[in-house]
Amino acid sequence: MKTSKILINIKKLDEMEKYEKIGIHNFLFALEDFSIGYPTFALEDIPEEAYILINRLLDTEAIEKLKSQAKRIGKYRGIIFEDLGVFQIFKNYDMELIWFQNHFATNYQSINDFLALGMTSAIISNEITEEEILAILDVASKPLILNIYGKNQVMYSRRTLLTNFNKYAHLDDNKRVILQEKVTNKEFLAYESPYGTVLFNNAYFNYGMILDHIDDAKIKYYLIFNLDYEPECILNKLKEDTDNVGFLHTKTVYRLKDYGSKVKA
Amino acid sequence: MKPELLAPAGSLEKLKFAYLYGADACYVGGTNFSLRANAQNFSNEELLEATTLAHSMGKKIYVTVNIVFHNDDLEGLREYLQYLAQIKVDGIIASDIAVMKMIRDEKIDLDVHVSTQASITNYEAALFYKELGAHRLVLAREASREDIKRIKAETGLELETFIHGAMCTSFSGRCVLSNYCTNRDSNRGGCAQICRFEFAYLKDGKPLTATPFSMTPKDLNMVPFIAEMMAIGIDSFKIEGRMRSIYYVSTVILIYRRLIDKICNKTLTSEYTSYCLNVLNRVANRESTPQFFDHLPGTNEQYYLGRQELSNQDFLGLVIDYQDGVATIEERNYFEVGQTVQFFGPDIETFNYTITEIFDADGNAITKAQHAQMIVKLKVPRPLKQFDMMRVKMFDF
Repeated sequence: MKTSKILINIKKLDEMEKYEKIGIHNFLFALEDFSIGYPTFALEDIPEEAYILINRLLDTEAIEKLKSQAKRIGKYRGIIFEDLGVFQIFKNYDMELIWFQNHFATNYQSINDFLALGMTSAIISNEITEEEILAILDVASKPLILNIYGKNQVMYSRRTLLTNFNKYAHLDDNKRVILQEKVTNKEFLAYESPYGTVLFNNAYFNYGMILDHIDDAKIKYYLIFNLDYEPECILNKLKEDTDNVGFLHTKTVYRLKDYGSKVKA
Repeated sequence: MKPELLAPAGSLEKLKFAYLYGADACYVGGTNFSLRANAQNFSNEELLEATTLAHSMGKKIYVTVNIVFHNDDLEGLREYLQYLAQIKVDGIIASDIAVMKMIRDEKIDLDVHVSTQASITNYEAALFYKELGAHRLVLAREASREDIKRIKAETGLELETFIHGAMCTSFSGRCVLSNYCTNRDSNRGGCAQICRFEFAYLKDGKPLTATPFSMTPKDLNMVPFIAEMMAIGIDSFKIEGRMRSIYYVSTVILIYRRLIDKICNKTLTSEYTSYCLNVLNRVANRESTPQFFDHLPGTNEQYYLGRQELSNQDFLGLVIDYQDGVATIEERNYFEVGQTVQFFGPDIETFNYTITEIFDADGNAITKAQHAQMIVKLKVPRPLKQFDMMRVKMFDF
């Protein structure tokens, strides 16, 4: 994996310089009022050579506000988006438009269909196996983006779930907590903004182990979502051994009759 | 124009009841490619039978092809879509662009309804799907009154909105909690409903409260806004629940059928609206509220106390025949002489009746009916029809 192909989210403005020093030059900024789950930035603080993350599902008010800023946003290198309304607004702008519909980029046909409609690239979903990822990369009509490190987003609600519970339980106004499911003890990081609540799996996944199996030419970027670590640490984090490789080696099932015969990919 | 009342049907039996009780259309799933993978669902032969039945009754039928596909799932999709076109279903409900593009590019004669899994809440996203050839949009349950109005105005497409039933905590499709906790893929029909589980609420490794965190939403119930939704021009009102019982489906459909008809006839009263709300809350064993239409749901739209969903015992019997003042009933739950029950059905006004005598299938007088599906006879002075239902007397009307 070439470090120059890493695309990483920014938590604080001064991180860019630190990342540059270790050879990472592609940055993703979550745009204030239009993104959820990550630290956000006002447009005037985001350099034009960066990518903008717009991962909110947008209501009428938000889509109108986005359109009112379209000329300014259109000068940026690209947008990574969840809501297809964003593509509809910017499809005639000279910028990269990258499809990032969480949990939906799970087969080669859909990805190629979106690419054929004019999208620059797509971020492959993380709920599929290594075999499925390789098959997608094999036939994709354009280089794709593989999310190789981070905490996977597992749920997005429009509801202000933490505020609602804080009120019910007479708690302080917590906006970032850990939810521990009582049967499995799985932990989820919950983060709330005025635009809803996002849950992340609270363990970092690391796809470092499959990078040797991937044809680098098929990859546009290796995406990292760093929610916690200092920039200097991130390349070492990628080298760490981990058991958390998500669903790379485990097929999900969906019929109860298949549940007992959970198949290792 | 009167909106379509669209009902869920998890089996051929439920489909028949849905149509009889007033649904204009039903949505069903095949054995593949459909969320609710663990419902009974329809084989290809049953889909043909269902479509023939629907059209013979002047009704419509839509087939869900709404999983989010993995590579292997694509096998057989083309042939399946061609089959659905061949048997002339009235439309398919899809969330994956692979389905929509295949229909468009290969000119398969099917109307595409974009599933609520696509989470459409704004008109630009709606226009994207319009350009892709969508015939109808099933809007996200999160769409507000203003969102719906604007989407209708900007696209001119048929719009379908949910009016009743269970809600996801998340935007539909934007949740894989089930995958992480149980390895069951929520976007291919295996959702284990983790959002209805309880969680500890932690900060810095310590519980913030002993009260379990819950994110369970109450059910959706749009009774208070049906008239306004009709005025907006929503084309189809959808009821959730392909895995629900015939009693639930029939009750909910009949309530909304009569509500819509009364609005059209200008005979709706506040008393009838209250009655609708009472019946709907009782039949699901859950509270229900309007949710996102007029405000952002808060504490009152969720459940926090640990709650068990007890099975509903209100459905007492199904009328299978009525002759000369005697109703033949197939028992569903215990009832006895002296009990006041309620009969309801698509062609009768709901009425109360106190049971004076019960006879078994051989004509012997008995005091109670206590075995599921036992056949009994009751003398009922008001005419009934096959498929009418007898339930616990719950509310006056």
